[in-house]
Amino acid sequence: MNVWTFDPIALAILALAGLAYRRVARPALFVAALFAVLVALASPLAFLARGVFFSAHMAQHLLLVLVCPPLFLASLAHEPPGEAHEGFSVRAVLSWALGVSAMWLWHAPTLCNAASQSALAFHAQTVSLLAMGSAFFWPIFGARAAHRLSTFGALAYLFTACAACTVLGVAITFSPIEVCSVFARPNAIREAWNVSAKADQEVGGLLMWVPGCLVYASCIVFMYGRYARQEGIPSHAKDSSREA
Amino acid sequence: MTTADPHIEHAHDAHDEHGAFSWIATVDHKRIGILYLLTALFFFCVGGVEALLIRIQLAHPNSKLIGPDAYNQIFTMHGTTMIFLVVMPTLVGFANYLVPLMIGARDMAFPRLNAMSYWLFPFGGALLHFSFFAGGAPQTGWFSYAPLSETPYSSTMGTDYWAIALLTLGIGSVAGAINVIVTVVTLRAPGLTMRRLPLFVWMTFVTAFLIILALPVLNAALVMLLVDRQLDAHVFQAHGGGSAILWQHFFWTFGHPEVYIMALPAFGMISEIIPVFSRKPIFGYEFVAGSTLAIAVLSFGVWAHHMFAAGLGHRADLAFAAGSMLIAVPTGVKIFNWIATMWGGTIRFTTAMLFAVGFLLEFVIGGLSGVQFASAPVDWNLTDSYYVVAHFHYVLFGGTAFAIIAATYYWFPKMTGRMMSEKLGRWHFWLTVIGFNMTFFVQHMLGKMGMPRRVYTYPDLPNWGLLNAISSVGAIIMAISVLVFAWNIFVSARRGEKAGDNPWDAWTLEWATTSPPPHDNFDRVPPIHGRRPLYDLAHAGPRESEKTTTRQTLPDVGATAMWAFIASEAFFFAILVITYVFFNLDKSAAAAHLDLKTTGIFTACLFASSFTLVFSERALAKGNASAMRTWLAITIVLGAIFVVGQGNEYRGLIAHGMGASTSLFATTFFTLTGFHGLHVTLGLIALGVLFALARMGDFDDVKHSSAFKALGMYWHFVDVVWVVVFSIVYIRSLT
Repeated sequence: MNVWTFDPIALAILALAGLAYRRVARPALFVAALFAVLVALASPLAFLARGVFFSAHMAQHLLLVLVCPPLFLASLAHEPPGEAHEGFSVRAVLSWALGVSAMWLWHAPTLCNAASQSALAFHAQTVSLLAMGSAFFWPIFGARAAHRLSTFGALAYLFTACAACTVLGVAITFSPIEVCSVFARPNAIREAWNVSAKADQEVGGLLMWVPGCLVYASCIVFMYGRYARQEGIPSHAKDSSREA
Repeated sequence: MTTADPHIEHAHDAHDEHGAFSWIATVDHKRIGILYLLTALFFFCVGGVEALLIRIQLAHPNSKLIGPDAYNQIFTMHGTTMIFLVVMPTLVGFANYLVPLMIGARDMAFPRLNAMSYWLFPFGGALLHFSFFAGGAPQTGWFSYAPLSETPYSSTMGTDYWAIALLTLGIGSVAGAINVIVTVVTLRAPGLTMRRLPLFVWMTFVTAFLIILALPVLNAALVMLLVDRQLDAHVFQAHGGGSAILWQHFFWTFGHPEVYIMALPAFGMISEIIPVFSRKPIFGYEFVAGSTLAIAVLSFGVWAHHMFAAGLGHRADLAFAAGSMLIAVPTGVKIFNWIATMWGGTIRFTTAMLFAVGFLLEFVIGGLSGVQFASAPVDWNLTDSYYVVAHFHYVLFGGTAFAIIAATYYWFPKMTGRMMSEKLGRWHFWLTVIGFNMTFFVQHMLGKMGMPRRVYTYPDLPNWGLLNAISSVGAIIMAISVLVFAWNIFVSARRGEKAGDNPWDAWTLEWATTSPPPHDNFDRVPPIHGRRPLYDLAHAGPRESEKTTTRQTLPDVGATAMWAFIASEAFFFAILVITYVFFNLDKSAAAAHLDLKTTGIFTACLFASSFTLVFSERALAKGNASAMRTWLAITIVLGAIFVVGQGNEYRGLIAHGMGASTSLFATTFFTLTGFHGLHVTLGLIALGVLFALARMGDFDDVKHSSAFKALGMYWHFVDVVWVVVFSIVYIRSLT
């Protein structure tokens, strides 16, 4: 089966990537981000995500929201470090809401079905997922120091997003209702692989729940690591600045 | 919540420090810490006697000494006592005593709240034990699985007392944890940044977050269990449409973080003791601290590994097996860091260090059997056997209790001014190691042979009698070791060698003051340039002249406390909302009973009240007292309209024959909206107090504006909860 699919969005991203390359400071992360885009949109995974396996759809979804955006943002050159933003800001709340809706919104049954059936809806989904994912990770890995959250703000930001994501993952895993009825319809591949629709949805929910949360958890550990490393510089000016 | 300023508290408190009443009335964090520790020691003896009864009963096959009912009560009380009345309060007691000292503060952020947290603890303990006089203690084990814990199967009041006691203790724990968070965030001495915190403080701080987020999950579940038992509802009973497995989910959502609530502070103690007695700074501070965060976050995601035997399906089992095994990574990181700290160090084997090293060995055994349980097929084989009993005793006794004992030997000189006897300490150590391993190591084998836990006796199968006899002898040796320990504490507190300020040449701030510390802890907090301020002080040199008095601008006390409280409450409501949704996927019941229009009107009032409160706050900021009072009064009226509206709605529903137990819709509806209504009512009372204060003109200083701000946050939170409830319960069903 010829399962590497052509996807205009993937192509557009690759083209745009060429333009962005001048701003890249960490090429390895940049390449990893592009690779994740290819896996999500052009590989056999993308083929399976189009109405065959809900779990494949979920893997694609997570790659677009949780893997590509942070890798891409982290690969860009940062402005010289400045004061990170402190406390509560409307921008952070908005970013958080976008990141969480990336998970919830596209799993509303109507939208989820539309995206697996209409090409236009699917492309809209792809673009919005990447955008919402980038918005979510901007306060964590973004290039503008002034937009980044303080370490402890970021921990709360990531932890609460993880909790919101967990609730949805749990719901999808144990829900008796089909989240995307398109995937529940009999299809040849799923039957050939002997996977029930229920099992498929369970795996999808678990993917969001466990590996999804692991991304947030890794970011939390990374944020603390970055914070702890700053201690290496014996600067009193820094210590007198606000912590917590 | 009382005043935020410890200085004022001290002015009241400092007069009388003698006599029993001064201990009862105390708000001094050190005395409260000692009260926690002594009360926990008392309950440790109670729980220990229960453990001995279990071991005496099991010493030989077919024993008729204790009947099944009494045996069930004893092991339930043993587990509940040891977890909620011994381990948690002991760790809280150490935190209470040490956290302010280690961060160079005079007291906890809220001394009176601290006293309340403490007094809820003996009160909860008394409630739990009162069940003995009210028809019998609970018999359902420490996790009280439904439906066994429901009225048809547990008809005595034991389980009700169990639930009420745990609620009481849970409220105290959450209050205490909020206090720890606010103390660490707002009261650190200048120069003590978050990345310089002593690891004990850091881990206690992280644990406090686990407590404020995990305990409300248990509290919500307990509330629903009580609704089931007292109001004949069926949330956790299959007959009537409820779900017993839901109890398991909720209990372990709390229960697995709970394991780390009991383990992380112990890790913190070990992280203080090992470096001091190895004469080296901790190896890889960042890794020890960072892995704590990883453990804390992961601990919320793996509860279902306690439920492999419940039949969640292969897919879920696999995911949870993988997630659970992952926790071994950050835990292993810690073990290696401790070993690397000792490596090449000048180790002094004091009793404290002996127990710390003992901790490493015993905890690794418990950790390894834990990793085995993370594999679902192994779990199916061994669950509910003595292998489980051996596993968690290696974690909780070999791990946590060893660390607590090490911490006692280490910090006793600071608390009393006297050293504990090293000679008795060595006896204590070896008796503990021998007794503990004798008791529990053989239980691994018994478990593999298939001996089930929680059964009052066993048949005379080959070797079972012998291994059980060994275990029981070990338990008696452990009991003797506890007596040696208690004797050591008692004798040393009176006649021990004088300790001096810093008997161990340690580095953290608590050793900079006298032993025991004066009422206000420090005459002068030493300058802090790194993680080992006393080491820096001894090897000071040029740093003395550097500017150290730069004031850290630390967050507002009231707002920090309210954020922590809101986080905790959010988890409580999340559980109630999840339960509602779980039982009301079918919207017809709600659609048949509820009325969007009238509810919409009083809902609008509640939302409007958030805005009027903001106006009131702005007026206060501008110093316009009369506008402030007017907006505050409008807020109270709007809130009252909501409460009256909701009461009227309840009246109508009840008039139509809907009660708490008529259907699962009714139960979950009343529980969810009822708790929200309760929160609105409490908020109204607080707003009323503010209004009265404002009328009396007592509203100029900064302290009250901080209280105003905190109360405002609470009020907005209650509104946000209603946004969620209103959309899910009303809008979803009626549109």
